[in-house]
Amino acid sequence: MKKILWIGLPLALVLLAEGFYQAIYVAPTEATMGNIQRIFYYHFPSAIMALLFPYVNFIASIVYLSTRNSNPLRAQAADALALASAEMTLIFCTIGLATGMLWARPVWGIWWTWDERLTSFLMLWLIYVSYLLLRRFTAGGQTQTLAAVLSVFAAIDVPIVYMSIRWWRTQHPSPVIGGGPNSGLDPSMWPAVWWNLAGWFVWGVMLVTLRYQVERKRQHAHQQSVQQVLETA
Amino acid sequence: MQKNNVALRVTIATVVIVGTILYLAVTGVNANKSYYVTIHELQSMGNHAYTRHLRVAGNVEPGSIEREGAHAQFTLMEQGNKLRVDYTGGDPPPDTFKDNAQALAVGMYGRDGVFHATQIQAKCASKYAPAAPGAKPSETASMAQPR
Repeated sequence: MKKILWIGLPLALVLLAEGFYQAIYVAPTEATMGNIQRIFYYHFPSAIMALLFPYVNFIASIVYLSTRNSNPLRAQAADALALASAEMTLIFCTIGLATGMLWARPVWGIWWTWDERLTSFLMLWLIYVSYLLLRRFTAGGQTQTLAAVLSVFAAIDVPIVYMSIRWWRTQHPSPVIGGGPNSGLDPSMWPAVWWNLAGWFVWGVMLVTLRYQVERKRQHAHQQSVQQVLETA
Repeated sequence: MQKNNVALRVTIATVVIVGTILYLAVTGVNANKSYYVTIHELQSMGNHAYTRHLRVAGNVEPGSIEREGAHAQFTLMEQGNKLRVDYTGGDPPPDTFKDNAQALAVGMYGRDGVFHATQIQAKCASKYAPAAPGAKPSETASMAQPR
């Protein structure tokens, strides 16, 4: 556990500090929105991470589902990763929603609207809230399997979230990055984007790794206590 | 035997629930096909335009904003089409509501040819550009008031 902490944490902090400096001091003030636009340098990375980590969760869940009978030990490791990445997704999704709402109020005039991008992203949030509630409050052998099924819904929702601003008319801006003509970031804004993407990614990977290791320890401890009960029975 | 029974019941319940949700979703989508309509679509809607609560999108025509407190009148334009909008609502317009901004007006189209809006939302551009050096991005005096 110490290795990931000693390497990952300083790296993440350095990247995030540079990202903060870039976002707040170096990047230019935006023409129509002013300084509030700087939230973008946090909103965008959080949202992107919230669309990446569900696939870690999804793949780990698939591995769990396919190996739980044939290779239970691997299945447990996969499940630990699934749990860790689910929690991380929820954190990023919450930050994405919160930064979005804080940004929306002054520039759109509303905290929220039920357009396709916001609704589908909220859906992702709800799926992972229910995932974690399921894992916390159900007992018995089926918990991990049911949770794995939920991850399928998340995996389906992510492309919808991503494409929503391309498929439908939304309140949320049309694609800024990768959009057509009349879109895009001024080149001077890109460094802030890259530093923050890197920083939040490293932070996310570090937290998932730590959480995975904690979960594995809990699994081992649980296994050992079960063994003890069986042996003394 | 019991296992099959439970599986069957769960499946039926799932089908019913998913089916209901899908039905609601489809009818909801049909009722509100687009998040907003363009001025051109509004004006070609015929009689429907006057009976529906709508959201219209357009760009604010430069120089057309007249404001008194929370009341505002302005013209939206989009590809040569123009729409006069009269806004009376509780909140002052958002900070980004100024000349050439993309705006959404929510309300009803009146037979007098004026769109009576009860809500104005701004839509942000997809392009982020630095403010011209020396020029401060124009800030509206009012901070958005909490609802």
